[in-house]
Amino acid sequence: MREKDKKTIKTGEAAQPAAVAVKGAKKKSGAPDGKFKRFLKSETFSGYLFVLPWLIGFCVFVAYPVIQTLVFSFSDVSIRPGAIETTFKGFENFAYALVTDSKFTQALGEYAMEIILYVPVITVVSLILAMLLSSKLKGTGFFRTIFFLPVIITSGPVIQIFIEQGVASFPGVDELINFTELAETMPQFLINALQFLTSEFIMILWFSGIQILVFMTGLQKMDKSMYEAAKIDGATKWEMFWKITLPALNPTIVLNVIFTVVMQSVFSLNPIIIKIGNDMNGTGEGAGYGYASAMAWIYFIVMLVILGLAVLIFKKHEKKVKRL
Amino acid sequence: MSFQGKKINPSRFHVSQIKFYIILLPVAVFMVLPIIYVISTAFKPAEELFKFPPSFFVVNPSWDNFKSLFELMAGSSVPATRYLFNSILVTVLTMLISIFLSVSAGYVLSKKRFKGRKLLFEINTLALMFVPIAVSIPRFIIIINLGLVDRFVANILPIIAMPVGLFLIKQFIDQVPDALLEAARMDGANELQILFKIIIPSVKPAIATIAIMSFQSAWGNVEASVYYLNNESLKTFAYFITTFASATSSSITQGVTAASALIMFLPNLVIFIVMQSKVMDTMAHSGIK
Repeated sequence: MREKDKKTIKTGEAAQPAAVAVKGAKKKSGAPDGKFKRFLKSETFSGYLFVLPWLIGFCVFVAYPVIQTLVFSFSDVSIRPGAIETTFKGFENFAYALVTDSKFTQALGEYAMEIILYVPVITVVSLILAMLLSSKLKGTGFFRTIFFLPVIITSGPVIQIFIEQGVASFPGVDELINFTELAETMPQFLINALQFLTSEFIMILWFSGIQILVFMTGLQKMDKSMYEAAKIDGATKWEMFWKITLPALNPTIVLNVIFTVVMQSVFSLNPIIIKIGNDMNGTGEGAGYGYASAMAWIYFIVMLVILGLAVLIFKKHEKKVKRL
Repeated sequence: MSFQGKKINPSRFHVSQIKFYIILLPVAVFMVLPIIYVISTAFKPAEELFKFPPSFFVVNPSWDNFKSLFELMAGSSVPATRYLFNSILVTVLTMLISIFLSVSAGYVLSKKRFKGRKLLFEINTLALMFVPIAVSIPRFIIIINLGLVDRFVANILPIIAMPVGLFLIKQFIDQVPDALLEAARMDGANELQILFKIIIPSVKPAIATIAIMSFQSAWGNVEASVYYLNNESLKTFAYFITTFASATSSSITQGVTAASALIMFLPNLVIFIVMQSKVMDTMAHSGIK
């Protein structure tokens, strides 16, 4: 036990000598002789020293396993007690996932639609809530706490219980809106989207906690004199929102979009993740660890494409704003 | 402008504010709902647990679920307190180490100019997106190769590099003005002092957020206990509690699961209440702009 504890502490203290080294380098700054001393003083050196402990942990427990799954995705992996055997299969796993396994491609489509609906809604809802919570209002402190509260639900195991019990969906909304009647006037995909949003509304609120926080910090950093100047020029609050608040918040919006896409994608109850998890432990065709790795990589690439598109849209907008 | 609040609670209440409450109040109700549900379900006697359609609130609250849970706990070969001690140790160490790693890495990635810093951050963001469950087997291989099987650190090491923590904290540190750090440097502060005296106080909301998240990932983590540890006395409380769900008859299981969900959930709530004041406090009067 004691020996093991020592090991843990070691990782934590790895940064300590780094700091000492930096301090030492600073003191000797009077005589910058030799390349090595200059290197010790450089930002590159102190930068790497600070980042090193994190980097080691990251490489060993995050980066390396991810790369290993890439290797596995091209092979057939069988796990026996004490040994892991891999036989190279080429693109077979990928081909099976994309062509034969209809469950996977279907889940992938559902995921894409879910993200396309979730991201704008979460962003808009959390922006509105953040603005309300940043206003001079009695009891905002209390509301801020409550709105941040779901953070402990969505990342915990409790969420699974809620979804199973149906707490996460609006009771009675389905009866409020007559979807079959709407179907006569609206295209089907719009109906699906609407149905999805009403049934997932509570989930959307639960997933906005951190986004609200990020927006609130963004709003706080805003330059107040801009608003005063705009007010003198006779701008309405509505105009101020579109011309001042929104452009200034653009980086924050991009950050929130990325965060939402990522958190939704790795959410443990996401159907694709569940499928990957199930297939990982199975045997035979369309199962096994190699196949699960291949699916994980396809999913990862789809996710990247969606994220890339989202960022591209906002970055383009940002450039336009800068030109103005 | 109305959303430029410096004080959290203005002393006055004005009728014009009512329209805001009309939006905020119902939303707030939905936010608290799940917590009430967890508490209420834990106290439901068996017949209410199996009622269909399930009721939201408990009608006749009873301690039965907790009684059967504690009975099961008492029957275990390793005392429950041992698991609890392991969990507390794992959680505290993980929180401290992962926060420190994230902040120090976030600081240099945000404020230092060196080769590869952008690349490192982008790699981190990419890693954030990789399906977590898919890496469990390579992780297992690494644990074996490092000789960490049946060692206590296997509980901690795999979860201390938290990509999401670095991601959030770096974005917050970006907003700390360089002038502030430059001023501190002029006054002779070294890098560590800058980190502890300036960076950490100004990004408290982010730190509190990742503290909550790392607390949860450590407190609820069963991966290590299931895969890396064979020795019962090294396993965590979260693992201990999941073993009951499958061990007994279904009529008891439901109740025990509900009670243990509450027991697992309460520390989250406590840590949240402790941390959230930090989050909101700094939100209210951070001096920086």
